[in-house]
Amino acid sequence: MNRLKAIADGQTIESVIHQEVLARETVVSIRDFSLFYNRKQALYNISMPIVKGMVTALVGPSGCGKSTLLRSVNRMNDLIESVRIEGDMLLNGESIFAPSVDVIQLRKRMGMVFQKPNPFPMSIFENVVYPLRIDGQRDKRVLMQVCEQSLRGAALWEEVKDRLYESGLSLSGGQQQRLCIARAIASDPEVLLLDEPCSALDPIATGKIEDLIDRLRGEYSILIVTHNMQQASRISDHTAFMYLGRLVEMAETSTIFTRPTLSETEDYVTGRFG
Amino acid sequence: MIGPNSKRSAQAQIAAQGEPMVWLSGGMFAIACLMILSLLAFVLWQGLWTLWPRNYSIYTRNDGSLVGGELYSKHFQDGQNKLYLRVGNYDVSNRHFAYVSSLELADQTPWADPDLWLVERKEWGNLYGFPKELSWTKTTQDHFADQVTQGMRETAKIDRQLAQAKNELKRIDGDIAEARLSIRRVELAEKVDLQRAVESGSVEGLSPAARRAIGQLADRNRRADDAMVQINERIAELEAKRSERSVLFELPIAQELGTLTAPWSELSAGVVGDVQAFAKLIGVESNASSPAISVEPVGKELLLCKVAVEDQSIRRFWIRRLGETTCSVSGLQEHTILLADVVRFFPTNRLGLFQRLGVYAGRWWEFLSGAPREAGMEGGFFPAIWGTVVMTIIMSMAVMPFGVLAALYMREYAKRGWLLSLIRISINNLAGVPSIVYGVFGLSFFCYIVGGYIDGGPKKAGFEPWPSAVWFSALGLLALVSLAAFAVAVLSGQAEARRSPLRSMLRWAGGLLWLATLVGIVWLLIKSPHFQGFYQAQLPNPTFGKGCLLWAALTLALLTLPVVIVATEEALSAVPNSLREGSYACGAGQWQTIHRIVLPYARPGIITGFILAMARGAGEVAPMMLVGAIPLATDLPLDGEFPFLHGSRSFMHLGFQIYSLGFQSQNSEAAKPMVYTATLLLLAIVTLLNQTAIWLRANLRKRFQSSQF
Repeated sequence: MNRLKAIADGQTIESVIHQEVLARETVVSIRDFSLFYNRKQALYNISMPIVKGMVTALVGPSGCGKSTLLRSVNRMNDLIESVRIEGDMLLNGESIFAPSVDVIQLRKRMGMVFQKPNPFPMSIFENVVYPLRIDGQRDKRVLMQVCEQSLRGAALWEEVKDRLYESGLSLSGGQQQRLCIARAIASDPEVLLLDEPCSALDPIATGKIEDLIDRLRGEYSILIVTHNMQQASRISDHTAFMYLGRLVEMAETSTIFTRPTLSETEDYVTGRFG
Repeated sequence: MIGPNSKRSAQAQIAAQGEPMVWLSGGMFAIACLMILSLLAFVLWQGLWTLWPRNYSIYTRNDGSLVGGELYSKHFQDGQNKLYLRVGNYDVSNRHFAYVSSLELADQTPWADPDLWLVERKEWGNLYGFPKELSWTKTTQDHFADQVTQGMRETAKIDRQLAQAKNELKRIDGDIAEARLSIRRVELAEKVDLQRAVESGSVEGLSPAARRAIGQLADRNRRADDAMVQINERIAELEAKRSERSVLFELPIAQELGTLTAPWSELSAGVVGDVQAFAKLIGVESNASSPAISVEPVGKELLLCKVAVEDQSIRRFWIRRLGETTCSVSGLQEHTILLADVVRFFPTNRLGLFQRLGVYAGRWWEFLSGAPREAGMEGGFFPAIWGTVVMTIIMSMAVMPFGVLAALYMREYAKRGWLLSLIRISINNLAGVPSIVYGVFGLSFFCYIVGGYIDGGPKKAGFEPWPSAVWFSALGLLALVSLAAFAVAVLSGQAEARRSPLRSMLRWAGGLLWLATLVGIVWLLIKSPHFQGFYQAQLPNPTFGKGCLLWAALTLALLTLPVVIVATEEALSAVPNSLREGSYACGAGQWQTIHRIVLPYARPGIITGFILAMARGAGEVAPMMLVGAIPLATDLPLDGEFPFLHGSRSFMHLGFQIYSLGFQSQNSEAAKPMVYTATLLLLAIVTLLNQTAIWLRANLRKRFQSSQF
């Protein structure tokens, strides 16, 4: 508990990142990243890798900055005017926050799925091919091909193939969330960012999404924020534990859940704290 | 059992139960409902009832005189019934309507003669009377309707030809006016006076353009002279033909002939003792055979007496009791009308329900599709409806892009801060500014300044132009400023500059430069020494420098702009942020997000605001009085004549029509029923627009409703 208390007191602590994680090939590496809302600091000097082709889960109590960190990866925080950052992140070795980066191009290389399903008020087909549409793709064949591919990838094709031109809003909540995943993978992103994708879903829909994440493993590098310890243990390869804007410990999921280095992590994942 | 809480005070007890508040609020609700319902009921009743054909009833006054009319309303006041009668026969009686008190009447039950006809005319309003003779053929009671219908078909043909001929005259006049205009243009362009040349016809030493213009005028004048003689002859001929056919009516207005000595009891049984005297009195040749007489009691002391004369026609007389053995005999006043003036005629007291409905439908059709007659008191409202609709459409086309784009900027692009809040509050307040203020602004700004500028350049609009050299240097400066603005815009859009503090500075500078450019353009326009207006030749007659369709539409656009902005802003703020984020996360830019996600989602709300603005604009009267609506316009603002849409024409407006008809016309009392009908129509149009808005919103909302969870 000392470490968490130290954090609460505003002291700097050393993050514990296990060697097994550092040894792997990374897709995004976060370098000494801090983020401020006006004066208030939300993230403190976070450095961590996101491993290529694997699922990395961010866990931690509410308000610890998991979502903020996730939304920094594709610079969604740019939309908030009061945000200021320090440090940098690298996407496959290229800086994300350098002044010369075109945010729009950057976001196209990542897919993002939000807490609440947010399909656009248009047909299922148009929802999926939206990233291509905004690039000016008009070729019906290409669009159809990408649509099918993405929907198959999101395990939704069989359910919607006969109603592609119905409104995306006519789907159930779980289907909507998978539609959003299909949309996120339509532009073939290098990283998939999932911000508590199951928090608004019932257990069955959650199960389907988890199966889907499991299937996407290997093909995509996934960063997922979750509140649900069981979910993190079920679907992720690596888990990072955050607390009050600091990264506390990061390791392979099995390590975090069975024999973490820090007792604080153990207390959190076993539910004794948090 | 749980009883009332004894610890509570009585007041708190009442407050806790809240019963009185239910009654209070419910009562207020009931009053509100009642007010709305009574308003609707009143307008509906008055508006629907006006065009219904009623019976023409004849009442006897105490002094024996007669008054007849269609009963429009009856209300009890000061112990007497006040009857509001449409007496008609304006050309004889000099009034359309009359109030009659029940105290003046000898007999409260009126007499409705089945043989009486109602004739709606193009002039002088309704005529009520008994048909007697047709000028072009013999008639009987039974054949009258057919023969008149037949005759009307032929006069309609004549009227059409007449209208054609008059149109031709108008066209020739237009040609000559145009030729004069082109001479005036040459005069203005070459700064010469061509008046003498026009009068004398000598074109020595004039420019080719002037020669051409003068030649054209002379040519057109010559041709017009020839054509005009012909056309005028034709018109005279047609007019003569038109007035050939007339109908003679006996109006139910008594004209005293004399007294007759005969016992009243015999008379009321139809027996005239002294036939000779009676025949002499009524001016019928008394032959051996006595005239066939029938009498009908009209009132207690009044008989209507029908005398069949040899030629089968019937003559009517009133016989009024003076004493036991004396009575006075009156004839009916005769009156001739032109057949060509007849619009519609029917035996109003004899109509069955379906015939009445037929007349009613016909009148409504004329009301909706016809042109006004009698300064709008009769006939149709089509020009007013058309004017209102055309004006409203132009208004919406003007207000829509402005309002939506402004709201878009405020909601999606502008940086939130005190300035934006201030502007938003101002716009909300603008919605509450009295509409007459907009009217005054429209008149002084659009009509006089902008309109004057279009007509005759800066000088006409009241601006002193700069000398040419100054103006051109200013133009150069403006070009530099706009170039700089463009450069700064490009610079601040560069990716490198995005995060740097330089960017906000650049944006401010860019904004100021754009503003300077805009102001500069306007300033250069009003200070131009080289623009003399598009309609200088027509001056001093204003073309756009007066109230007209275009300025009315723009004034209303200004008036409804806050409505559109507020509605659009609300619609935009109702778009869930998650959709915007989803779009950005897909790599869409801001405009792509707005265009593909935000606007489609906000569309129902935007359209609702749009239609509410239309409804508000369509019903607005006060500014219309100042900027272009007139009580009677000869031309429609949108018609088949090139260039089809005439922005510089004055127009008729439904709301204004109600005002001018009810309160400004010569005979506003007589126009009252029409006012109600027009009110009903206006209410119907506005309700229709609002209803469309509600329906549209509901329908579009359905598309965006999620059936999730």
